[in-house]
Order: sequence, then C-alpha cells, then structure tokens
Amino acid sequence: MPGFNSIQEMRNALTNQRYLMDEGLATVVFLALRLRKPLLVEGEPGVGKTELAKALAAATGTPLIRLQCYEGIDVHQALYDWDYPRQLLQLRAGTSTQLYSEEFLLRRPLLEAITRPGSVLLIDELDRADDEFEAFLLEFLSDFQVTIPEVGVIKATEPPIVIITSNRTRDLHEALKRRCLYHWIDHPDLQREVAIARARLPHVGQYLADQVCAFVQDLRWLDLFRSPGVGETLDWVQAFHTLGHNELDSQTVSSTLGTLLKERDDLERIRGGDLDAAIARSSQRAAQLRQGNYQ
Amino acid sequence: MRLREPQRTPDQAIMAAAVGLARALREFGLSASVDAEHTFLRALVEIDVRDRTQMYWAGQAAFVHSPNQMPIWDAIFERFWDGRPLILQEGGSQHGESDARMQGSHHGGEALPQFGGEANEKVALDGDRQRGDQDIPTAEGEDGASNQEHGILAAWSDQEILSGRENLQYEEDELLALRLLAHEIKRNAPARRSRRSRPSAGGHRFDVRGTVRESLGTDGEAFHLGFSAPTLRPRRLLFICDVSGSMERYSRVLLATLKAAVGAARRAEAFVFATRLTRLTKTLDGRDLEQALDKARAAVPDWSGGTRIGHALGDFNTTYGRRGFARGAIVLVVSDGWDRGDPKILEAEVRRLQLQSRRLVWINPRPMSVDQQPLAIGMRAALPYIDDFVPGHDPRAVAGLAHLIGGLGSDRPVRKIVPTAAGQG
Repeated sequence: MPGFNSIQEMRNALTNQRYLMDEGLATVVFLALRLRKPLLVEGEPGVGKTELAKALAAATGTPLIRLQCYEGIDVHQALYDWDYPRQLLQLRAGTSTQLYSEEFLLRRPLLEAITRPGSVLLIDELDRADDEFEAFLLEFLSDFQVTIPEVGVIKATEPPIVIITSNRTRDLHEALKRRCLYHWIDHPDLQREVAIARARLPHVGQYLADQVCAFVQDLRWLDLFRSPGVGETLDWVQAFHTLGHNELDSQTVSSTLGTLLKERDDLERIRGGDLDAAIARSSQRAAQLRQGNYQ
Repeated sequence: MRLREPQRTPDQAIMAAAVGLARALREFGLSASVDAEHTFLRALVEIDVRDRTQMYWAGQAAFVHSPNQMPIWDAIFERFWDGRPLILQEGGSQHGESDARMQGSHHGGEALPQFGGEANEKVALDGDRQRGDQDIPTAEGEDGASNQEHGILAAWSDQEILSGRENLQYEEDELLALRLLAHEIKRNAPARRSRRSRPSAGGHRFDVRGTVRESLGTDGEAFHLGFSAPTLRPRRLLFICDVSGSMERYSRVLLATLKAAVGAARRAEAFVFATRLTRLTKTLDGRDLEQALDKARAAVPDWSGGTRIGHALGDFNTTYGRRGFARGAIVLVVSDGWDRGDPKILEAEVRRLQLQSRRLVWINPRPMSVDQQPLAIGMRAALPYIDDFVPGHDPRAVAGLAHLIGGLGSDRPVRKIVPTAAGQG
C-alpha cells in the first residue's frame, strides 16, 4: 500500500509523474487510497481520466492493470479462463496433474489485480459494458474475491486501488455508485493547462504554450460539437513546435487546426471565423497570465 | 453487512453534523445512503476538517453521484459550512427527529459553526426546492393531483379517437397492442453482431478452444470438432418524438408506445421534444404504466408547445449524441416536420444525427408527400439525410409500428454523400 501521509505528498508524487491535479481531485484520490474505496471518475473526453490511473500506478510504483470495457464483455475476458491448449499438452504428456488448478488458469485483469498486491486496477469506460457485467463487478468490488468452482475462493491479500471511468453514455447503477467515491473531472483552467503543457512538453517555449492554451480555453466556451481535450491541446502545441513556430499565426492555425478539432462542422466554424482576432485575444491573455505570475 | 468500523471515530459533534448534512441532502433528493454517510465519516478522519476545500471535496465524493446533483450539493454545503440551518420543513419528523445519531449535536461545543447543533432546527430553506436525479416536477398535493390529471389528460385527449371513452385509462385493446409491440420489439428488433462468439453446430468458424476443451474429457483425443458463430444482440433503439401542438393527437399513444419500447428493448432510449428536449428513459422505466406516464407528463415542460425540431435535435446532438448515445443505434424520429425554426439548422442537425446513428428513420404521420406541405421546408431540406422516411404512418397504429421496427433489418443502409450547403467555410 502506498503510504502517502498527506494530500500534498501524494500530489507531489503525481506531479513528478507529470500529472497535475487540482485540489478537488487530489483530495478525492487521497481519500480513495486511504479508505480503500474504488474511485469513479467521469468527465468530458480528454480531461485525463485514464491518465490519472496511469500516473497513480507510476507514482506508487505498482503495476497498472487495465480492463477496457465494451459491449458484450464477459467473465472470460474480465476475470479468468482456462488455458486449454496447455491442459491438452499436459494430458498428452501423460503426467498426472490436476488439470483444473491454478497452474492452468489464465488470469484476466480482475483476477490479476487481486493476486498482485497493491496494484492499480483501471476499469475503463464501464458505461460501455452491459448491465449484467456491472452487476458482476459490484460483487467483485465489495469483496475483492473471486470464486472459481474448480479451484475455490481467491481473495485479495491487499485490495487493489480501483479507478473506474465512465463517459456517461448510460447511467451506472446506483448500487455501484454507492460503493465508490465519485469525482467529476472538468477541463483544467488556463493556468493548470499551461502547467500541464509545460510539464509534458518541456522543450516547448513558454510563450507558445501560454498562447495555445489561451486559444483552446476560448474554444471551450464556444459550445463546439466536440470540445478539445488536454491531449489535443498537447498535440497542437507539439504541432506548432514541430513546424518551427514559436507563436500562433492565422495561417498555421488554420492548417493545423485538425490536430485540435476532429469534427468537420467545428473546423469550418473556427476557420471561417476571425482567426486574427482570436489569436490577438489569446496573446493578450497569455501576456496577462505572465504578468500575474511575475508580480 | 460489510460496514467496517472506522479506525478512529470522529468527534461526536462532527458525527452529528455529518448525519445532519446527509439528512438535508436526502431531503433535497440526493441519495445520501447510509453507505455514503459512512464513507463521509471515514473520510473526515483522513482529512483536515477545518479546511473548507477538503471538506467540500470529501463530501462531494461521498454524496454526489452525477454532475446534475452538484448545484444542490454546492448550495447545501455552503449552508453547512456557514453553520446555517439545513432542513426546511417545520416540525416535520419523517426523517428521524428520533434518529438516535442526532443526539450528539446538542452538546457540540465546537468552535466551528457547522459542527454546532443547529442542523436540528427546521427552517424553510430559501429558494426553490431542487431535485437532483429526480428533477421531475410532481403534482403539488395529494388531493390536487387527481384533479390536475384530469386537466392534463383532458387537454391531451383527442376527440376523434376518444369519443365516448374514459379519458384517464388506456383501453384494454390499446394495452394489448402495446404488449404486442413490446413482444415484437423483443423478438424482431434489428440485431447486431457482437464481438463474442458462441459454440454453434451450424457455425462457420472453427472453435479451437471448444474442441480442445471437449477433448480433455477423452484423453486429449478430439472426437468432436467444435464450431462457433457470432452472437447477435439487439441494437439500441432510440426514439426521439415530437410532442408539440401539431402532434397533439398522437402524443397520448406515442407516450405509451415509448413506455412499451423502453420496457421491452434493452438499452432503448426515449426522448421527446416540442421546443426543447426531455429525456424520458428513466422516467418511463417502471412497472406501472399509469404511474410512469403520469411522471412523464409532468417531466415534459412544453407539451403541445411550438416546434423547433432543429434546436431539439441540436440539443440531442450536443449533449447525448456527443456522449455516444446514438452510436450504432437505430434512431427513430417521430415528427410531422412542421418546424418553426431555421430550416438550415434542421438540416445541419439531422445530418449530424445521421452520421452518428446506424440507421435514421423518420416517421411522419402526415400522409401527403413532403412537397405538399408548405410549412415543411425544413423537412424537405432534411430529407436527404434520412435513411428511411416513412410518411403517412399514424403512430396510433401501434401494430404498424411494431411491424416497421421488425422490418428494418440489420443491414447498414446505403448512404450517398450529400454535398453540404454549409461547406463554404
């Protein structure tokens, strides 16, 4: 069990993994670790839900076990399966061993998570799975044990840290939510987004990062069909850097906008708007940000 | 019960305050269960209870389960933190005036106001009584309710079909038709291939695992060759129904149809709109037909209002569509296409809806061809983006709808790429 003694200590450890969290998220993650409760995080695509689990695993030095959910996922993909070919070989070899024993068990993510102490289990996009799977998961999350008829009960010596993400394409069961701590991750504010960009892309100039983030922040207010996430901001910063630009200009903005926006309507709308004015606005905000910081 | 005792017990006064907070949250429609209360109490041991931010987030993590509950949480937490009274009704005792856990608050003696004993006081909370998940305006009082139902239903009822009928009840034959619809949807709704395959004698894929598994019982000799076939699962059905003034005569049966469909098809979704969009899936999801319909009626603020189809579909696209509700789904729009909004908007939103859905079906009760409807300019603009346009279908003919859904088939519709008018940017 990772021994973070304070919220700040945990936050620093995650910052070292280049994952910057605000105070709300930090408090809730800290509580999830201390209370050993699963953490259900929801939020717009691209706010770093999955990244959180990765960073947490890296910060605690434990393996990340990821279960990607999809429609029709069942126990054999999530929990365990038997390694039939190996059993067959064993049988052919003629040695008398118990065929249905742990030796021939294929550990799928959930089983893996309870047999590796202190691991971080990421259950990604749970809303994509079916109701039945959710009900099954409920059982798993409350006891952290698994019953395999031929083998018996396997119980976690130390329950894993569980991060569940959902995109809210459907409502998760109330019973499941009750077992979890809940947190809604918002898009970061300007300062934090700049900080993230700087942490992730240290080779990029400060001014470019400021300007791009200010530009993206403005876009998020526009009620686009798909608001750009942090990942896309980073791609865009990187794109400018790769092309050798240290600041925004309307032509490059227009030609690289596809890195940021992935919907044709959104692209047309932004390209058709007054790009120069938008760039001027973001330069202004970038300048304000620096002044605020250096005062 | 799997409640673990907290290693350290929070202070009595804090505990009482936390319980009072949970009670207030329940009062305002949040499902602050005992589990959540327990989680919160355990959290209080881990954080600095004098720190507002930490308290705020810890409470939110424990009590809030979806973004739409956050305004309520914010409001109540603020009162809690300022040490203001939380509970609204005077002398109301249904939530445990007798709650033993509340005892502690009287001898609090805490420096912080929120841990004082005031949570017990019952004073009206200013502002509207908000509800979280159940943001369904319910009828005011018990006695007033039935009268009002008469009112709503009377406004709704259609003379042509209801003459001589008791307005409040669905007739036996209607209920039968709805049950048949549900049955038909279960049996015949379009399916999709799932990623999973299952053993099947008639399957075309060689099932290595199954064959090997079988042969374990025969000393490793494969006597039986296993085959597998992909499993089929029902596609999501997503209804978006117009309940504006011009659709008034259909809305009564339409609503019941939605109820039947939501009950029958796994993961079916129901939305209605006049000027704005309302999601009814959860509202309709109950056993009792009448009760569910009552709730649904109350939940829709703009029954028989004007129509802004484009905006309503736009609402859908930007909120639910963006989250993937329509992906892989059969989307059925039931509307006469009489739109008071900008036809350009309607066109753009229908196009966007089509791109998200597996198949976009538009059921239009008006029998004539689109060209004959002077008001349906928007409809005409939207037509190229509709996979199946079904004009002249009366939604009251429930059996016909069932047949229609059953006949949609599982194939991907052939789509032409339509050059967009909006492409000049």
